[in-house]
Amino acid sequence: MKKIIVLLVFIFLGNTIFAQKMMTRTGQIKFEASVPSFDPVAAVNNSVSAILDESNGEFAVLALVKAFKFKIPLMEEHFNENYMESSVYPKATFKGKILNFDASKTSASKKYDLEGDLTIHGVTKKIKTKIDVAPKDGKLYVSGDFVVKNQDFNIKIPSLVKSKVSEDVAISFDLVLDEK
Amino acid sequence: MNVKLFLSSLFFLLALSQASAQDDLLKQLDSIKPKEKQAETLGFKGLQICNMQSTKVTAKGEWYVLISHRFGDLTQGFNNFFGLDDAYTKLGAIYGATDWLSIGASRQTNNKIYELTAKYRLKNQEADGFPVSIVGYNTMDINTNLSTDQYPYLEFNNRLAYTTQLLISRKFSDKITLEFAPIYIHKNLYDETTERKDQFVVGLGGRYKLTKRMSMNLEYAPRIDAPENDVYHNLLSLGLDIDTGGHIFQMVFSNCQTMNDVYVFSNATGKWNGGSLYFGFNLYRVF
Repeated sequence: MKKIIVLLVFIFLGNTIFAQKMMTRTGQIKFEASVPSFDPVAAVNNSVSAILDESNGEFAVLALVKAFKFKIPLMEEHFNENYMESSVYPKATFKGKILNFDASKTSASKKYDLEGDLTIHGVTKKIKTKIDVAPKDGKLYVSGDFVVKNQDFNIKIPSLVKSKVSEDVAISFDLVLDEK
Repeated sequence: MNVKLFLSSLFFLLALSQASAQDDLLKQLDSIKPKEKQAETLGFKGLQICNMQSTKVTAKGEWYVLISHRFGDLTQGFNNFFGLDDAYTKLGAIYGATDWLSIGASRQTNNKIYELTAKYRLKNQEADGFPVSIVGYNTMDINTNLSTDQYPYLEFNNRLAYTTQLLISRKFSDKITLEFAPIYIHKNLYDETTERKDQFVVGLGGRYKLTKRMSMNLEYAPRIDAPENDVYHNLLSLGLDIDTGGHIFQMVFSNCQTMNDVYVFSNATGKWNGGSLYFGFNLYRVF
């Protein structure tokens, strides 16, 4: 009987240790949809949250749309009100999986495939991209970049400003995950 | 017995931890709330509702160039080509000195008035927090049309008139924003039979968003204890905002042709039922 108890305790403990999650609340996401010779259409969000389940590579990222900061205040206002409609769709999220992620093997920087659902402006699209995962001082540095199209997420650019905003939006992210 | 209890509770805990491990990662992130209360997005697209000021304040370093027109009396028809003959113009600029303070200067045709303004945000409406936005606004008019031919004992301070305004607005929904503004007007030179040296006005205004880039605006400003006469009336204006990106274009129908706040709130000469009406526009270009 005692053996069973000991075994169970081990399973229990092992489970909690194994299911360790790494997370951040101060991750950074940048995007740029600039057209040369016009005002830069670029913003940065420094309060991105992300969480990684080390046991299976499941990965989720959440950014508040209103937290994207622009150089030009009027652009930020229009971004929220006219394009992203951030009072209706306050969050941009990603939910997916780092393929073949193995926490024990990540001793040096390594490239992985990331796959999952990206939700922006209330529209969800499957994306696939490469990411860098680098462990350092007990933290995981996760970074990468990918390109999305405005029209894929139902973000309409009026014809009047079409020449000033790129249809392709380059998104890059830098997340430093720490133990929860 | 004890062992059984211990075992079952352990099983229970195990099951619980398994369940939480499978819990949606996004949901765990969702529970994270922003630390600071977020300022509500702006309730007005333009710095003005029609004639009166909205609670929008320019951001730091922003330049707004203002071009306003009010055509002549619309109701005279072809006699003055629906007002095209006697238009007033106001040219000005507003600069965001800090994120909460902007200063401006303008000049308008009527009475060659220079208007200096200061607009300062006192409090922002917050999402799930403070219910209203509060903005202070001051104007000082310098009437450069007055001459010693007309007033032999004219001194410089006779040319000055002031308004002090407290603009309080609430964004009720994405579409509807309402504003309430107690306004105090002081004139150094005034006509005792038709005007008051100190006049209180209650400014009421609002917008209704028709589309993402267009809104309908309405304002009404009853004077409190105004002198009884038929010369001046309470301000009532109807407007349409069109936001084209870098420009804000506001079309205005009003019973006031002049564009300095002192006259707007206390010297509106038109009347919606059976008086003069004026059409015009405010054009803001943001740099």
